[in-house]
Amino acid sequence: MNLIEQIDEYMIAYQNGNDEALETIYSLLRQPLYSFIFRYTRDEQLSIDIVQDTFVKLQRYRHHYDPKKGKLKAYLFQIAYRIMIVKLNRRKKLQSFLPFLTPITKEEFHHADRMTIQHAIVKLPEKQRGVILLFYYHDMSHEDIAEILEIPKGTVKSRLHNAIQNLKLELEDDFHEAQSFERGTSSPYEIR
Amino acid sequence: MKPNPLKEEHHLRTKLDEYEVDVPNFPKKLKYSKWERLIHVLASPTKDPFEPLLSATNGFMFMKIAPIAGTVVLTLLQIFLLT
Repeated sequence: MNLIEQIDEYMIAYQNGNDEALETIYSLLRQPLYSFIFRYTRDEQLSIDIVQDTFVKLQRYRHHYDPKKGKLKAYLFQIAYRIMIVKLNRRKKLQSFLPFLTPITKEEFHHADRMTIQHAIVKLPEKQRGVILLFYYHDMSHEDIAEILEIPKGTVKSRLHNAIQNLKLELEDDFHEAQSFERGTSSPYEIR
Repeated sequence: MKPNPLKEEHHLRTKLDEYEVDVPNFPKKLKYSKWERLIHVLASPTKDPFEPLLSATNGFMFMKIAPIAGTVVLTLLQIFLLT
């Protein structure tokens, strides 16, 4: 039995009244959930709040989960994603009405700095960001991503393709450097 | 098996692998109280509403002159209203 199936078993135990099973689910899924939200928002406190809210919702609606319909991991990611989108939309509204009252979240990035993968991901359109994060860092299938983001499977594929192209574009300098290393030169601007 | 469009993207995969997240040790309790959330919102850093004014010379001058001008206007208003 793999870890994902084990988590599903713990959830069934929790639904049957074993409260300790929830603690195990929490310890197993807290980290991946936090990583996903943090990579998406780059906001530590918001990510912690969303993870907490996700588990509160899981407790409240524990009997809504049906193992036949999908894995618990995807179910929890779906809850977390919905909460995150609601919170981000609320924050955007607050930002437009009272710009000086909203917490500072965006990290300053100067074009003179080297583009890092963190900045490249933050610069991706939100629709593409979720897809690449779930696919690469959380090893989700296209079906699971489609379920979490509530979009068709074909859209997942096209967004994933676009996200990869955009990341390559953002990290263009790094790619050129890597290619020049592969060709045996130390710098793309080397004078011969 | 799921198709992997990143299979051939060795360099991109290396870059993506560089992005690690340190998960903080947030408390085991499953929810913050509303009071704690409010305290967090009030205590979180926010933008300075006067920053655009202070960063430009004209803005800085405006900040200096505005209270004086305001005082003059209020004084004149009182003089006209009382006389």
